[in-house]
Amino acid sequence: MSAKVLVLSGYGLNCEEETLFAFEHVGLKGSIRHINDLIDNPGELDDTQILVVPGGFSYGDDTGSGNAFAQKMKLSLWDSLREFVSRDTLMLGICNGCQILTNLGLVPALEGNYGERIVAVTHNLTARYQCRWVDLKVGPSNSPWLAGVESMHIPVAHGEGRFMMEQATLDAIQDQIALQYIKPSKNCFPRENGGLEDPRLRGESIEWESANGEFPYNPNGSADDIAGITDSSGRVLALMPHPERGMFTWQRDDYDRLKDKAQREGSTLPEESDGMALFKNAAEYFEVAKRKIA
Amino acid sequence: MARIEILSHEDDGRAHQIEQALKRRGLAASVRVIDVYTSENPKAQSPEFVGSLTNPVTQSILPSPRKRGSSGESEKVPDQVGDELFEFNWALEIGYLPGVTDNVGHTAAELLGLTSRHSGEGRNLPDQKQEDPGLHRDDDEDVYSARLYLIKGDVSKDDVENLANELSNSLIQRSSIKSRDDFAKDGGMETVIPKVTLDNKGTAADDVNLDISDEELQIIGKDGITNEDGSRRGPLGLSLHYLKAIQDYFAKEGRAAKDIELETLAQTWSEHCKHTIFASPIDEIKDGIYKHYIKRATQEIRKKRGKEDICVSVFSDNAGGIIFDDNWLITDKVETHNSPSALDPFGGSITGIVGVNRDCVGFGMGAKPVINRYGFCLADPRTKPEYYRDKAKTNAVLSPETIMNGVVRGVEVGGNCSGIPTPQGFVYFDDRFVGKPLVFVGTIGLIPREINGKPGHEKCAQPGDKIVMVGGRVGRDGIHGATFSSVALDEGSPATAVQIGDPITQKKFSDAIVKEIRDKGWYSAITDNGAGGLSSSVGEMGEQSGGFHVELDQVPLKYPGMAPWEIWISESQERMTLAVPPENTDKLIAFLAKRGAEATVIGTFTDTGRAHITWQGETVMDIDMDFLHDGLPETPLTSTYTPGGAAEPNILCFPRESGDLESLKKDPRFHGEDSFLDTALLNMLSRPNICSKEFISTQYDHNVQGSAVLGPLQGPGRVYADASVTKPVLNSPKGVVLSQGLAPRYSDIDTGAMATAALDMAVRNAVTAGVDFHHLAILDNFCWCSSDEPERLGQLKRAAEAIYELSVLYETPFISGKDSMFNDFKGYDTDGAAVKISVPPTLLVSSIGVIPKVEQSISLAPKAPGDLVYLLGDTKDELGASEYYDMHGHLGQNVPEIDGARNLELYKLYSQAARQNLIASALSVGLGGLGVALAKKAIAGKMGLNIDLSSLCHPETPKTLKDLDSSAQALQNDNKKLPADKLLFSESLGRILVTVTPQNQQEFEKQFGDFAHTIGQTTNDNKLNINNILEENIKVIEEAYKAPLKDY
Repeated sequence: MSAKVLVLSGYGLNCEEETLFAFEHVGLKGSIRHINDLIDNPGELDDTQILVVPGGFSYGDDTGSGNAFAQKMKLSLWDSLREFVSRDTLMLGICNGCQILTNLGLVPALEGNYGERIVAVTHNLTARYQCRWVDLKVGPSNSPWLAGVESMHIPVAHGEGRFMMEQATLDAIQDQIALQYIKPSKNCFPRENGGLEDPRLRGESIEWESANGEFPYNPNGSADDIAGITDSSGRVLALMPHPERGMFTWQRDDYDRLKDKAQREGSTLPEESDGMALFKNAAEYFEVAKRKIA
Repeated sequence: MARIEILSHEDDGRAHQIEQALKRRGLAASVRVIDVYTSENPKAQSPEFVGSLTNPVTQSILPSPRKRGSSGESEKVPDQVGDELFEFNWALEIGYLPGVTDNVGHTAAELLGLTSRHSGEGRNLPDQKQEDPGLHRDDDEDVYSARLYLIKGDVSKDDVENLANELSNSLIQRSSIKSRDDFAKDGGMETVIPKVTLDNKGTAADDVNLDISDEELQIIGKDGITNEDGSRRGPLGLSLHYLKAIQDYFAKEGRAAKDIELETLAQTWSEHCKHTIFASPIDEIKDGIYKHYIKRATQEIRKKRGKEDICVSVFSDNAGGIIFDDNWLITDKVETHNSPSALDPFGGSITGIVGVNRDCVGFGMGAKPVINRYGFCLADPRTKPEYYRDKAKTNAVLSPETIMNGVVRGVEVGGNCSGIPTPQGFVYFDDRFVGKPLVFVGTIGLIPREINGKPGHEKCAQPGDKIVMVGGRVGRDGIHGATFSSVALDEGSPATAVQIGDPITQKKFSDAIVKEIRDKGWYSAITDNGAGGLSSSVGEMGEQSGGFHVELDQVPLKYPGMAPWEIWISESQERMTLAVPPENTDKLIAFLAKRGAEATVIGTFTDTGRAHITWQGETVMDIDMDFLHDGLPETPLTSTYTPGGAAEPNILCFPRESGDLESLKKDPRFHGEDSFLDTALLNMLSRPNICSKEFISTQYDHNVQGSAVLGPLQGPGRVYADASVTKPVLNSPKGVVLSQGLAPRYSDIDTGAMATAALDMAVRNAVTAGVDFHHLAILDNFCWCSSDEPERLGQLKRAAEAIYELSVLYETPFISGKDSMFNDFKGYDTDGAAVKISVPPTLLVSSIGVIPKVEQSISLAPKAPGDLVYLLGDTKDELGASEYYDMHGHLGQNVPEIDGARNLELYKLYSQAARQNLIASALSVGLGGLGVALAKKAIAGKMGLNIDLSSLCHPETPKTLKDLDSSAQALQNDNKKLPADKLLFSESLGRILVTVTPQNQQEFEKQFGDFAHTIGQTTNDNKLNINNILEENIKVIEEAYKAPLKDY
């Protein structure tokens, strides 16, 4: 079976090319579609299985990140979007896409109640843009996007990534939390004050604990260390970190060390890294076999 | 009139930022942020529109309009917003002045269009349903944004005024302050509509009589053309020499000049556009510095390389282009935006980065921007010098902190919003950048080698092609920007030269052009609208076809009432000019409209040999193209040269564990704690030119496009790196290596040494990261000062000659460059005394090269304990103008000299070794020398180093005063060994500090021979130990390196 991917573009979205590349790498077929072209021809969603709103800076974050683009989609495409999520489809919003899906109320959409804006993704507590690598654990959501994944090391890059909501909402979405920021457990670094090497460099694993709001592990002050949430079905995933920037080993911030270690050991470094899991899961969901692209 | 106020939640990060700014001044306060929108459009009151601006989870809409009036109690502020909020003490509102780019307002206006249309009240656009609502909007649909801060706490009005000054710039923004009482009495803040209204509606072009005396001509050159009311229009920047040529031309034409013609000639002939100083004959060099040194270097290298030439398009286009692989070219361009950044640092730098992106989009048929880079030369933000532009001291120079924050943020917003990674850059501090910071911005592009069967880098406007302007509309922004940047900054510097970039408007058309339209083959040529606006872009493209005809009244304007000359030279940003065959114009314009971008036909390219412009049917300009471009008379220059420098100092610095500490302490040269080598190293690491600039790297998106391989912060210890590696084509194994080099202070001794150091650093840093040395090109950016003085010109000539020789030797061709010749500040000090502060003559060399496989890249962080540490290259007594001497207040004489032939041999060996993965980590030894490089390695790897420098040090174990003095003696006797402090802090060029795994030891030593000095090992402990010299905990070193700028 084949599944068709549409990755949106326009008005300052800017991660569409590498995001499409990720889907193509796992064997899916897709296109980049300018939002205005989709509004002209919303029927295209009828034969689309995966709709992606990629990262970027739509409308320059003016009037709040993702707000203006979400307004545009809501006013021009809402019925088609509503129809799309009611089918057995997947939807992904990365970074600016996450902010857009949240503003559209496509997440958390408690009990399938799409369209209600009850979660905000707003200014980082540092009031600074943060481009850095984070560690994530997969939360209790049963999202097919994250099937079989326990943790991920991928980057964030945003000025407004802080999930905020009322306590009642937070309580209600607990089962829809997809990803949370974590930090290395202190007792993994007994000699940390000595400025010593990371145990992982010696091939040892370390323990993790909740980031508990601590910067920079939680880079934005997000409630409950939330980095991503789903709708109630789990098929719509909105996440702030960028899996497409951490899908190959050469993209990693510790690539130089991993590469060096492999050379010393005479081993081969795996081509793919943590972020690729999302795209593979999407392909598997639609039973698309991996096709190596040139 | 509508005024919409949207209150943000208490825990807003933006509010906390203000609270922290107040806290830094010792003020405890809590702040609430209110986003304000105003509009004259009645539809702006609609709940749909107001709702579209509001996030209901974190924001609430304040009731509007508030009651206004003068009588008693009914004007109480409505309590729906909560009493607690209105316990504030001060209200501070900041908005834009009329005509200043308001990006938030622009987005709000688009939302107004969207919500009006969907609620059935909007204009009917049946045939263009997806046309951008922001296009063709009526003036009354404009929406303006402002921000209101409510401040609660024990703060005085002065404190709030200071805060307003920190948060805003009076050149582009308004601020108003109200106490709580006034706020309540007035019913809130005023509704401000910053709409531009110009009084010169309907003006046509004025005649300017040039049949006047030389004195009068000179006044026109300096202060501009006279308006009807006797005021002047601002500097033309034309010398008498040029004005006489123009006078002759119009005498020959037998008519008066039009104002627009004079303004056009001033733009086209400006130093900024024609680079007259680089082009003019100087002394015995008849073909000028640029042709004789820079261009000739590239020509000679290309000839020598023959079939292995990497250059494809050099010096002829908006950027330079070299081969990336069989399918792609990479392009590079580095610009400066210095003068605007002095006046409005944010606006100056964002306009700079977004502008250089357009140089990339304007390369060949249009290259896709794939990497940005930056470089800032600034005064130390922790200092508070006071200078004024005027004698009355009303117009203060911005503080170094304000300038730094502004320029850093400008590149952040410009780059991040455009989705272009910024993995590489630098900041260099010197007090002389106080009045004129240097802001370097660069963009690397990617373009197919072949597009529609033709070379992608070639283009040519054809006679008959329509002139199509794409992008933003034209306003008064940046008028006289080109002529302004060609003169020194003083009191009269025009505020209209300040602009703010709009990256999203640009992103809309640049994506449409580069990713969609380019490959359709709809246009014959494209170029950027930069300095000089249409006058430059149309003028340049008209050279290709042989003339142009422009109907200036067709140019879409931001507001009515602009005079023709203003429209023609306006530098309103985010515009490109395309040459489009007539049969393609309609579909091109329609396509761009679907992408939210405006495009307009404004004329035709011709082959008449004339630059012809009409305004409402009447000819306002008609100049010979040859005169326009080549009519400027030669200005032969003469230069002088005097070497600089001072006596070499005798600094006492010794190990803490010295034998006879007591007698050392009695020596007159002893200066306390600084005389110990360990403290000296920590102090060096904390120097602004050496310490970490991580705060910039984390704010700049450096991994968008998914292409980052080696980023700006390397190793677990996150050391700020000199070079980056990026994979712009995700499925190609190749990478782009970038770096930069500069050493402004070396100019105080010798500009030739300054220039060679810059070039060697830029090349060596790229080599260190693993670039293929044979696939490496460079760019030059000269930022000089007082270039009308023979001595400064002599320094310039010496620098150019030096880099000619070195680039030819290294075979690294120059592919693009830019110069900025008058980086001087003229103003007044606190006593009202006139001062002139000139930047140190600065050459920035940027390098760009290709690494055949990114897995051959080499990061600076050591990888494993037990690896061997080598210093490649020789350390000499070369501390003149070094960071170390400067720390002690000395200049010295022995500035690092280049041994190009030996470096060349080393870089070739290294480049080969990189192909074999022989090197585990490497760091180019730069400012601060070997000591700083060792410390950075330890920090980056979070790993100890055990170092022994006895083979390079004399005496091996300096314990007594006699030992130390004997080393100085030994130096005089031409001993190659150095005293410990000189060994640690010498800035000798051509050195690379590497670690090598023991299994590669034999092969490594065999290949590098006498270049390699074995100096130690990486260890599993937490110390940087240099035997007999110093021992320091890595945490302490890391703190010294990271603390100084971490709170910015």
